[in-house]
Amino acid sequence: MLCLGVESTAHTFGCSIVDSKGKVLSDERDVYKAPEGSGIHPREASRHHMEVSSDVLKQSLASAGVSIKDIDIAGYSAGPGLGPCLRVGAVVARTVAGFYKKPLVPVNHALGHVELGAMLTGASDPLVLLVSGGHTMMLAFSHGRWRVFGETLDITVGQLLDQFGRSLGFASPCGGRIEQLASLSQGQYLQLPYIIKGNDVSFSGLLTAAVRLASEQSHADVCYSLQETAFAMLAEAVERALSFTSKKEMMIVGGVAANKRLVQMLEAACDRQSAKLFACPIRFAGDNGAQIAWTALQEYVATKKRVGIKESFVHQSWRLDTVDVSWRP
Amino acid sequence: MQLAKRGAEADIYIGEWAGEKAISKVRSPKPYRHEALDATIRKHRTIHEASFMSAAKAAGVMSPFVHFVDPVRAEIIMEFVEGENVRDAITPDLCHEMGRYAAMLHASNIIHGDLTTSNFIASKKLVLLDFGLSYYSERLEDMATDIRLIKEVFTSAHIAVKKAFPRFMEGYASVAGEKKAGRILENVKEIEQRGRYARVT
Repeated sequence: MLCLGVESTAHTFGCSIVDSKGKVLSDERDVYKAPEGSGIHPREASRHHMEVSSDVLKQSLASAGVSIKDIDIAGYSAGPGLGPCLRVGAVVARTVAGFYKKPLVPVNHALGHVELGAMLTGASDPLVLLVSGGHTMMLAFSHGRWRVFGETLDITVGQLLDQFGRSLGFASPCGGRIEQLASLSQGQYLQLPYIIKGNDVSFSGLLTAAVRLASEQSHADVCYSLQETAFAMLAEAVERALSFTSKKEMMIVGGVAANKRLVQMLEAACDRQSAKLFACPIRFAGDNGAQIAWTALQEYVATKKRVGIKESFVHQSWRLDTVDVSWRP
Repeated sequence: MQLAKRGAEADIYIGEWAGEKAISKVRSPKPYRHEALDATIRKHRTIHEASFMSAAKAAGVMSPFVHFVDPVRAEIIMEFVEGENVRDAITPDLCHEMGRYAAMLHASNIIHGDLTTSNFIASKKLVLLDFGLSYYSERLEDMATDIRLIKEVFTSAHIAVKKAFPRFMEGYASVAGEKKAGRILENVKEIEQRGRYARVT
């Protein structure tokens, strides 16, 4: 069985074809690039997605070596995300499903990150840290859903890095540039607010303080201190959740998983709690079509649930802990 | 002294103090945190914890007796409390009692800061631990943050326990009154709606 997955929640437009054994036959994407110093403009990003959609779709079929008629299921990312962007992916999937008479399956984007990560890393019952521009959440599976054991109370760690980076004139996503700049620091730690509220974290005050600090201190030192503070908060939150849940596996997914310093800190935190760290391969840590294809396929095989074209939807706000995951033991 | 548990925040050792069974809670350095940041956090939380354990008692909430504090080593030696962790022994009645405790703290303007089931011990009476993140505040918002946290714990770790949160709030209201409990609940809702991808209703 083959499933097409269409991803378009934010800056990435991606199409991927995955088979029922979890083999990723193709994974094509085209990423909208924001101008220097700015973030993702929803209208501009959706225009980009519209322009590249047919090429990306064609390319994904070509690299998988299949024809569109061989596809058994059309899955699409139905949220959470930017409305205009989500609608492009939904239109592509509806068109394929409608014209070729394939079942149409809406997928929660965050669930896609978690399920693809678990499949690729082989983690069976992990505590998950989902860190991206859209999410900062700690999750564990219980009673048919991924339950939230801790999360950000305001902005995500991806937003923290992006908004700080933009204040320095970078374009989103800024995580890579910040990591690079931080590596130039001599390890001069500048005091920044470190906010843990029980199992939860808060980054908005840290952002304000870092932006203010950047006007008077070396950018390298501020980037370094920002990373040290924000990631230590996450590592501590993870340690708390590991200790509370007694999980022996920990998995990190999402775009910010590409940061080496964060992964290094999490390794140390897991080590202290005798847990094994599973890091989603960098290529599949950020947004991609395969996360949608794999999740749609699993859901359809288990539940045969599909939506009609008229009933199909996108939700800009759609929390992962409201999604039933009946196929997971 | 023997290492009994490696918690998220601290290592727990069991030993004796003046002939009585006692616990040593040491916030050992975290290898992943920058030294300067780490030292500040450990010292700060140790001092806070010890002082708020006493403040809680004055507010009517049972907490272990503090024998000795060493802020430099980030160590607290305290009374050993016999009993079961509420995380593993939760019942609706214990939820009610936890709610009463939270309300008593809040009546004294104490925000616990880490109000989760694993920080309660079901002994002869209920005992509350881990005041490392505690602080004083009169703001309803800060009290609501405590309540939101325990709600998050109920809906994740204890999803199988029916009516855990309603029972907790009954306990809370039995001390704080329906009016204050209602205002806190409204504030909890507000915090939740600020959360990522929350549906605004």
